Amino acid sequence: MASAQELSDFLSSVEQRAFKQAVYAVRDDDAAMDIVQDAMIKLAEKYGDRPAGELPLVFTRILQNRIHDWFRRQKVRNTWVTLFSNMGKKTDDGDDFDPLESLSAPDDSEIHQDGAHKLEKSQLLQALESEISKLPVRQREAFLMRYWDELSITETAKAMSCSEGSVKTHCSRATQTLAKALKLKGITL
Amino acid sequence: MKHFEDQLTQTQVDQFGKASAALLRQGTQSIPKDIKDRLYAARMKALSLRKPEKIRIQKQVLAGSARNWTSGSNGVWDTVGWIAPLVVLVFGLIGIAQWQDDSRINDIAEVDAALLSDDVPPDAYADSGFMAFLKNGPLSDSDSTSDLSHSK
Repeated sequence: MASAQELSDFLSSVEQRAFKQAVYAVRDDDAAMDIVQDAMIKLAEKYGDRPAGELPLVFTRILQNRIHDWFRRQKVRNTWVTLFSNMGKKTDDGDDFDPLESLSAPDDSEIHQDGAHKLEKSQLLQALESEISKLPVRQREAFLMRYWDELSITETAKAMSCSEGSVKTHCSRATQTLAKALKLKGITL
Repeated sequence: MKHFEDQLTQTQVDQFGKASAALLRQGTQSIPKDIKDRLYAARMKALSLRKPEKIRIQKQVLAGSARNWTSGSNGVWDTVGWIAPLVVLVFGLIGIAQWQDDSRINDIAEVDAALLSDDVPPDAYADSGFMAFLKNGPLSDSDSTSDLSHSK
């Protein structure tokens, strides 16, 4: 059973990484902060009595579920916005209002406004983060869990509720995509 | 590089992944202070919502045996859930069969007691002549009814 100190140390060690991963997924700092906070609270409330060794896998899973929930809520919200926008269009005769114009597209540049570093390493980091955020969801999850969270293939498969073969495929495709994209920018790792 | 144009091997995939992860780890150090402060506040809030140690211990003692039973994905209770009705059904059927046997034995005992306590000895019922006498003799129904009509 993880003590309060162990739980605190664990959260301290993963919170920044979790925040970054959430930012890659949702591309919004505030939303990412909410997601990480919810994940940490759920871990403490529901799984705080788990052994310290189980916390990384449980937290990773909670975090991914929270991110998926955020996307679901966004989808529902966008559906309603589109619906009401269409209704509004019917009442305004002759108006050329396009409901799609009311939907704000995600702005990639916002992700990297924090740094503004001029060093080569930071540019490399920005390029890598940018390409990671463009990856398909499952590929990004598998890649980050496998290499950044340092989960084994089995643990990653468990966290993603898929087979180990799928994890390998996702990781391989993610790596291929990232390597090609970075190479086009003249970057090799 | 040639290996980017072709399919990367598993080793190259792992190397690239580890190199990327190392770079990403460095990137977390550049997180702005206000974000770090908010993360710290979020962590403190999460820790404050953690269940107190005493309650957890007490709960563990009370539910100690149940926890052992329920270890596993769905626990033993799922198995008990469908075995228990079967056990009840089997015991019910055994009870009904037992009750029917007792009832049959009691009926036979009553007949036996009636036979033994009757004026006619039990051997008489096994005698074919006595049975014929009962059927055709003066005590038969036809004779008794004709006697009754004559008397009227």
